[in-house]
Amino acid sequence: MSTIDTGQRRRSGDSRPVIPELIDEATIRSIAEDAWIALVGEEEILLPIPGELPDDVLSSWVDVVGPWTGTVVLTTGRQTAAELTRALLGDSAPEPLEPEDVTDAFGEIANVVGGNVKAALPGPSALSLPEVGSAPAVRNPADVCRVDVLWRGEPLTISVQGALPPLPVPHPHENGESL
Amino acid sequence: MRALVIDDSRAMRRIVSSTLENLGFEVNQAGHGGEGLDVLAGGWVPDLVTVDWNMPVMDGLQFVSAVRANPAWRAMTIMMVTSESEHTQIVRALAAGAHEYVIKPFTADALRDKLALLGLLPQEVAL
Repeated sequence: MSTIDTGQRRRSGDSRPVIPELIDEATIRSIAEDAWIALVGEEEILLPIPGELPDDVLSSWVDVVGPWTGTVVLTTGRQTAAELTRALLGDSAPEPLEPEDVTDAFGEIANVVGGNVKAALPGPSALSLPEVGSAPAVRNPADVCRVDVLWRGEPLTISVQGALPPLPVPHPHENGESL
Repeated sequence: MRALVIDDSRAMRRIVSSTLENLGFEVNQAGHGGEGLDVLAGGWVPDLVTVDWNMPVMDGLQFVSAVRANPAWRAMTIMMVTSESEHTQIVRALAAGAHEYVIKPFTADALRDKLALLGLLPQEVAL
């Protein structure tokens, strides 16, 4: 007896969505632009132009855990992260900035962007506290939506990336299924 | 009027505090809900509390519940200021006893409008 693979069984068992099915680059860019205007300043514009990140980068991120599980990661040059911190703190920015100031401010931007990305995804989901350091690795290249922008001429990326590895590709004779 | 600003981010505390000070509030700050309760227990009772949701030690929802459980603090107006923008989260916060909900990112004008709705703008600012 033969079985025709309609894909139905695979689809019903492999229902985990990937991020390009849930959110697009324009929505992520719009969320980031709103965050920049409110937190950094009304004149602060994110240009949708990719640029090459420097070797010395810093990332901030929050995890989203729910029907889609992954991480919202902001990455930019360490010097740009410091400039971002000064812009965020305005007149109250200490001089010199301490690393904790950058961690706090850059993490808060990830928190705001990540919280609004979470709201655009199917819920309910939980949001982690922000972290700052070296970006988490991409686990599944198909589960990534990345936006590249320039802020004050410096490159910055926003990556919404799944935390889970790709699902295995089922073989037709698995689970006792006949060829 | 007095305001207590509770947020684990120093940057966000500075932003919210600066906005409130420009509106005439005397502002105190705390880094999480537990520190906020310590401020209240110490006798510094504000007219307004702005509180973030996601914080270490004690989150904003736990703080709201703790304040609402104490009859001595029932007169305080509590405003959640958070990046948690799911409808279900807003309902949870309001059900726990928050009066108003502001989603980050927000502008100074948006915060001022919310305070006006709550009748919490100093008279000279509201005019």
